[in-house]
Amino acid sequence: MTHLWHRDDPALYEKEKAEVEAHFPDLHFVVEGDLVYVRGSFPVLHERDVLDRYSIELQLTRDHPKSLPVVLEVGGRIPRHNDRHINPADGTACVLLPDERWKLWPVGTPLLRFLTGPVHSFFLAQSLVEEGEPWPFGQWAHGVKGVFQYYRELLNTSDLPVITKYLEYITAKKVKGHWPCPCNKGNRLRDCHFRLIIDLREKISRKDALKSLEALKAAGPSVIEMAEAKPPVPIG
Amino acid sequence: MTADEYLNEVLASQALGDDSDEVKALQKHRADVEKLIRDNFRDTALTIRYAGSKAKGTMNKEAYDLDIISYVSSGDDTAGETLEDIYENHRKALAKKYYVEPKGSALRLKGGDPGNLGVDFHIDVVPGRFTDETKTDAYLYQSSGDKKRLKTNLDVHLEHVRDSGVIDAIRLAKLWKARNALPIRTFVLELAVIKLLDGMKKKSISTQMEHIWTELRDNSANLSVEDPANPTGNDLSKCLDDNLKSQLAAAAKRTLDQIDSHGWEAVFGKAEKQEKAARVEILRRAAAVATPAKPWLPEA
Repeated sequence: MTHLWHRDDPALYEKEKAEVEAHFPDLHFVVEGDLVYVRGSFPVLHERDVLDRYSIELQLTRDHPKSLPVVLEVGGRIPRHNDRHINPADGTACVLLPDERWKLWPVGTPLLRFLTGPVHSFFLAQSLVEEGEPWPFGQWAHGVKGVFQYYRELLNTSDLPVITKYLEYITAKKVKGHWPCPCNKGNRLRDCHFRLIIDLREKISRKDALKSLEALKAAGPSVIEMAEAKPPVPIG
Repeated sequence: MTADEYLNEVLASQALGDDSDEVKALQKHRADVEKLIRDNFRDTALTIRYAGSKAKGTMNKEAYDLDIISYVSSGDDTAGETLEDIYENHRKALAKKYYVEPKGSALRLKGGDPGNLGVDFHIDVVPGRFTDETKTDAYLYQSSGDKKRLKTNLDVHLEHVRDSGVIDAIRLAKLWKARNALPIRTFVLELAVIKLLDGMKKKSISTQMEHIWTELRDNSANLSVEDPANPTGNDLSKCLDDNLKSQLAAAAKRTLDQIDSHGWEAVFGKAEKQEKAARVEILRRAAAVATPAKPWLPEA
C-alpha cells in the first residue's frame, strides 16, 4: 500500500499548512489526487516589504518531508535554461544541491523553513540575475561538476580519490575506527577524521551521498578540470 | 489612508501604460506575430487586431496577456478549409518562431530559443473565421471539450467589459485571482464581476470589492454567467463548476477574514513603484541578509 504523508499524518499536514499560510497569505495548500501542492504568489521579501513576486507551485512528495519538494515557477517568467537553474525539460527549479540540504533545510524542520530559506533565496537571486546582476550567493556548476565543487569545499581538498573515499565512508553501512583515514595521512580513522565522518553521516542522507559517489566515480578525473571551467554567463 | 485610497494606489502601481517596458515588449512581439502570420498566409485577407485586456483596459502589471485575433473572411479557404485547419495552420506558422501551447481556442506563445525557452510572452493568438461579410460574429475552433466550434463576437465582448463601468473592480479581481492562483478563466471572472456588480457601479471601489467577495463566499453555488456574444449557444457552466466555485468561496472567505483581522493592506500588500536602480539596491540589501543558498541543476 502506498503511504501518503498527509493521510498518514494529518496533524503534520495541518501544521505545515497553518504555518505556511500564516507566513505567506498568498500561498495555498491544494490536495489533488494523492498529492499535495502549494500554489500561489510567492513574495520576495526584505524586512516587511515585498520586492517582487513569482507564481509558483510546490509539489510535496508522497514521503514529505523526507524528500525535497519539487519547485516550479509557473508564471513563465524565468527562462527554462540551465544557466537560470531551471530544468529545460520539465521546468523544475533546483534551489539547492541535495547533499547540502542539511545546512539549508534539515530533515525534520518545517516546510516553512524551506520556503523562507532556499526557495526565497532562489527567487531573490532570480530577480537580481534578471536585472543583470551576478548570482548573489554564487551557484554550483551543473550536474556532477557541482557535486565535485561542493565536496571540494566541504572537505577542503581537490583530490578526487580522497573525496570518493570520504563518500565511501559516509555511505558505508558501518565505519570502523581501525580503518585508514580517507585523508591519506596514514592515520587510523579513530585518530584522525572519525568525528567528521560521523558528523557527515548524520547530516547527509545516504541516498544523496550514494548518488554523488556514483556520479563522481562515473565522471572520473575529468570532473576536476570541468569544475575549474568558468561558470556560464547567466541569461537575463 | 482609507480603503478606497489604498485600492486606488494598488491600481496605480499595477497600471501598464503604453510607454511601459512590458507594453513595449508586447507591441514588438505583436508586430512580429502579425508579420509571421501575414507572411504565411499571403493569399488570405486576414483581420488581425488586439482583443483581451489590452483592448478592454483591464491590464495589470502582475498578470497581463495580449490577445490577438486573426480571423479569415467568411468563405475564404486559403488559410484552411475547416476551423481546425485554420487553427492548425496558424499553430504551424507561429511554431516557426515560438513554442506554441494550444489553449482552448487560443495559441499561447512562449520562448522557443535556448535563451528564452519556456518564457511566457503573455500573448495568445486566437484564429477564427467570420460567419458572414459583416465581419462581426466569428467561429472559433475549440481544441478541448466536446463542442469543437464556438460562435463569438469580439466587439460585443469588448463593449461588455469596457462599458461595464466596473473596470477597476475587474482589474482588482484579476489581481486577486493571480495572487490566489485561482484556476478561473479571466473572461469568466470578468463576466462574474460585472454580473455581481449589477446596479452597484456608483458604489465606492472598496464597497464593490467587499460585495464581490461576500457574494462569492456566501452564494457562489448559485453563480452563473452567460457569454454576452452568444448567451444561449455558448454554455459557460463548465468554466464555473462546483469545484471552482468552492475554491472561489474559500478564497473570498480568506480575503474577507484578512480585511477584518489585518486591514485592506493584507489583501494586496503595499502599493509602490520602484525605479530600477533603487530596486537593484534593495534586492542586494535583501540578499545580504538572506540565507546563502547556491542553486544547482542535476544534469548539465
